[in-house]
Amino acid sequence: MAAAENPRSDAPLIVTRRVSRRYRRGVDEVHALEDVSLSLLGGHFVAFMGPSGSGKSTLLNLISGIDRPDEGEVCVAGQRLNDLSEDELAQWRARHVGLIFQFFNLIPVLSARDNVALPLLLTRLSKAERLLRAETALRVVGLESRADHWPRALSGGEQQRVAIARAIVTDPDLIVADEPTGDLDARNAEAILALLRQLKSEFGKTVVMVTHDPRALRYVDAAYHLDKGVLLEGEDAERAAAAIHAAAGGTAARGTAAAGSR
Amino acid sequence: MKYWGLIAANLRRNKLRTLLTGGAITLAVVLVCVLLTMPAGLDALLNAVANNTRISVHNKAGIVYSMPYSFVRKVRQVDGVAGALAMTWFGGAFEEAGRVTFPSFAIDAEHIAAVYPDYPIAAEQLADFQRYRDGAIVGRQVMKKYGWKIGQRVTLRSTVWPLSLDFRIVGEIAAERAPYFWLNREYLDQALKAKRGRGLGIAGIIWVRARDPNRVNAIMRAIDELSRNSDAETACETEKSFFANFFGSLQGFVTIILIVTALVALCIVFIAANTASMAVRERAAEIAVLKAIGFGRQVIFRTLLVEAVALSAAAGVAGVVTAAGLTGALRAFAGWSDALGPLGSFIVTTPVILQGLLLSLSVGVLAGMVPALGAARKPVVAALHDIF
Amino acid sequence: MLPLSYSLHNLLARPGRSAMTVTVIALVVVACSLFLGLISSLKRTLMSSGDAINLVVMRKGSDNDGSSQISLEAFHAIRFFDGIARDAHDRPLASPELVVQPFFRTRGGGRENVLVRGVEPVALAVHPCVHIVEGRMFTPSTHEVVVGHGVVGRYAGADLGNQIEFGRGKWTVVGVFTAGGSSFESEAWVDVRELANDAKRLYPYSGIRLRAATPADLAPLQRRIDNDPRYALDAQLETDYYAKQSESANTLYILVVGIAVLAGIGAGFGAANTMYAAVQARTAEIGTLRALGFPRAAILSAFEIEAVALSVIGFLIGGACAFGLSRLIESSLGGIAFGASTFTINVVTLRLGSADLEGALALALIIGICGGLGPAWRAARLRPLEALHKA
Repeated sequence: MAAAENPRSDAPLIVTRRVSRRYRRGVDEVHALEDVSLSLLGGHFVAFMGPSGSGKSTLLNLISGIDRPDEGEVCVAGQRLNDLSEDELAQWRARHVGLIFQFFNLIPVLSARDNVALPLLLTRLSKAERLLRAETALRVVGLESRADHWPRALSGGEQQRVAIARAIVTDPDLIVADEPTGDLDARNAEAILALLRQLKSEFGKTVVMVTHDPRALRYVDAAYHLDKGVLLEGEDAERAAAAIHAAAGGTAARGTAAAGSR
Repeated sequence: MKYWGLIAANLRRNKLRTLLTGGAITLAVVLVCVLLTMPAGLDALLNAVANNTRISVHNKAGIVYSMPYSFVRKVRQVDGVAGALAMTWFGGAFEEAGRVTFPSFAIDAEHIAAVYPDYPIAAEQLADFQRYRDGAIVGRQVMKKYGWKIGQRVTLRSTVWPLSLDFRIVGEIAAERAPYFWLNREYLDQALKAKRGRGLGIAGIIWVRARDPNRVNAIMRAIDELSRNSDAETACETEKSFFANFFGSLQGFVTIILIVTALVALCIVFIAANTASMAVRERAAEIAVLKAIGFGRQVIFRTLLVEAVALSAAAGVAGVVTAAGLTGALRAFAGWSDALGPLGSFIVTTPVILQGLLLSLSVGVLAGMVPALGAARKPVVAALHDIF
Repeated sequence: MLPLSYSLHNLLARPGRSAMTVTVIALVVVACSLFLGLISSLKRTLMSSGDAINLVVMRKGSDNDGSSQISLEAFHAIRFFDGIARDAHDRPLASPELVVQPFFRTRGGGRENVLVRGVEPVALAVHPCVHIVEGRMFTPSTHEVVVGHGVVGRYAGADLGNQIEFGRGKWTVVGVFTAGGSSFESEAWVDVRELANDAKRLYPYSGIRLRAATPADLAPLQRRIDNDPRYALDAQLETDYYAKQSESANTLYILVVGIAVLAGIGAGFGAANTMYAAVQARTAEIGTLRALGFPRAAILSAFEIEAVALSVIGFLIGGACAFGLSRLIESSLGGIAFGASTFTINVVTLRLGSADLEGALALALIIGICGGLGPAWRAARLRPLEALHKA
């Protein structure tokens, strides 16, 4: 695992240029994303926020290589994702991205350790190596004592931490989390956000998170706001940020509204 | 392969379902194997007599019609004949059974070695057979069926002539598929003379062995030529053709067996397919996550398919082993050979084992293919959409 | 109790899954019906060949028609015994017969031993089940033959007007007869004197069939023949005679039962699998029902009804397919021939009788009820709180 490093603030890690994504639902065509351009630097912890249907998850899917844009291009860590086929995208994800979901993260019939080691099956490491790395990752998230437990024996918060361990075990460039705290209570949510923050500050990871948890604003470096498929800028972004503050009861936020390219 | 842990864990996921599916496949494989031993028994018999040099000579009108015994001597003199003997149906009923339960023939003892050198009968036993007029040589199957031993005395009542004869068993045909009871022709001949004044003047079937397999056709033609325009015109055919014709009537029954076997096989494909699709459907979320974190279509397809094949293959092996044991029990019950002839031998041959294993493998592949393909092919986004 | 519509709706809600189970049961029903039908058809053929008021007379110690020999004197001695029925002209209904099994060449080029019965015209009166349906009875001494229904079309030359080659000559087919589905339909009948000549038999007859005047005459007639010191003869009821012939068919029933049991258990496992999955999927719904107050028995029966409904549908489909298949087999294969260890061929038409279908229905129901029992039990035992929680 990469030791504490300064964020590589010169090179943008993630760039999207005028990406659009539409899909069919029944007879309607939904414009999930419309002409979104942004540029994210490496080593930062950012959030995509917005109401449901705003396109934040779609944007996350595009930059993590799970989905393709209908228009525009996506470049991550120098790789133009548009050029890759479905199978190549899978390979790329395996090597460069760590993923965390809101639920259904873990395979119920595998122990915590085996779950964490799962992505390593796609590498050429030996079994001993795989298990060693899995245990290391578990140590980072503080669950090495639970390595042998089944997921059903772990609490919601512990399951998410195992998911985070799995996301970092391959030492990816980018860690992506879709509503990681959505299913958790306040105490666990804070713990997860803190852990994600730790990944950025201690290990220099780039973490992109989709959330509508207002607490997230205290942990992220920047927050991008979307509404109806459009990336909000300037005053619109400020207004969105303010609305979130108000909903959260006015807790001071670290990250303020970010807008467009930096 | 390294995905074995994942595959095994998935099979253990729902133990009851795995057991039920595996159990169904095992039972079906047992059934299929047992059924397939039936035509296999017939094939084995026909293969055993496929390449030899024996010829059967019988009255052209039918096996039940006979030939004059003197004809045998003429046949022995045909060029290329290594030996010839007459076999006549005795139709002996063993009293315990009440009716005819094995074929018994009066045979020319001195010529057995010349015509049946391939039959495993000990030389001393053949000598005893010639020495003791009331001797009998009995096939191993029959010996086992009634628990007879060499030296035992048995009485058979003929259903063709009004007499019963006592025999002393002096020898055994130590082969699996020779359920015969051979008695001395002279013994029957003398008994008939005593009873009705006339000996056994006829021969039921004449068996001939050719010295050279290439001359079989020529010998058959020569023998038929000998009998032409006589009272008993003959028709010669190879031993293989004789048995093929004799059991040719079983074809219809064999067809039914094969139909039933096919139906059973189709059945298990459905059962296994149902299980595979249920399993995959229930795991949609996990599979979506696996694909998201980078498991490609090929890997997903392979692991799902291997899961189905591993289960069915294991069940298949269990089925074949059980079938082998079960047929052993079936063989012990003697009534089959009466009803079914060679179909009832119930011997699990290598081809049957292979067919059973192949069936189970095919079931796994066929059943697992569609759900595995479907799961693998579905784009990640669509899969995630379905669950989130 | 939960309404029937609950069970039926649930079946329709998951058509794919229900269809799979139905197919499995249907396949098992077809397989077992075919086999069962085959063996029953064989039994029926053999059993129906016996007329309760007839006696079969053979030489003592003979097993069957073919191996016995009876002299002319013996026949003339017994044909006037008391108790034998008489026809309108006061002639005794005593049919002397000679049974021979010559080769017949099949249409497909193979050959089979066919039972040729040499008879005199009185045979038709002694075997009233035999009816000439096409053509006419043969005229004695003209090398003519009448063939049974099962023989027509199976062997070369075996149709009206053609000639069949068997024994030492050619015989012209002048008539076709039916015999109520009995084994006579697998036979060919010729003039007994001609047959004896052709087969070069010393004894003209192999058996005598007698028709008793009344059932009360059977036993005394039998005793008289058995005890006659001049000729070693044996008389038995025709029904007994054919019953003995069908003994080997009984062993085949065991085979059928074995097949049915194995296939049934396998199908039961398959059905159980599907139902377990259904229980799992409907855990929340069951919890609700239980919370509302429905007793365990109601849940149990609702699930069992679903299972039984699946089996009944499976049986109906399977039964229909089995019928179709048996018709297909009949048109493509003709009759199924039996007779490996015995010398003669019995050509059996595969017919599914009501008993066979009842057997298949019983099998399908057992599969459904037993296969569904485990899952139904599990569903019934779900505790309301648990079930709602899991959902």
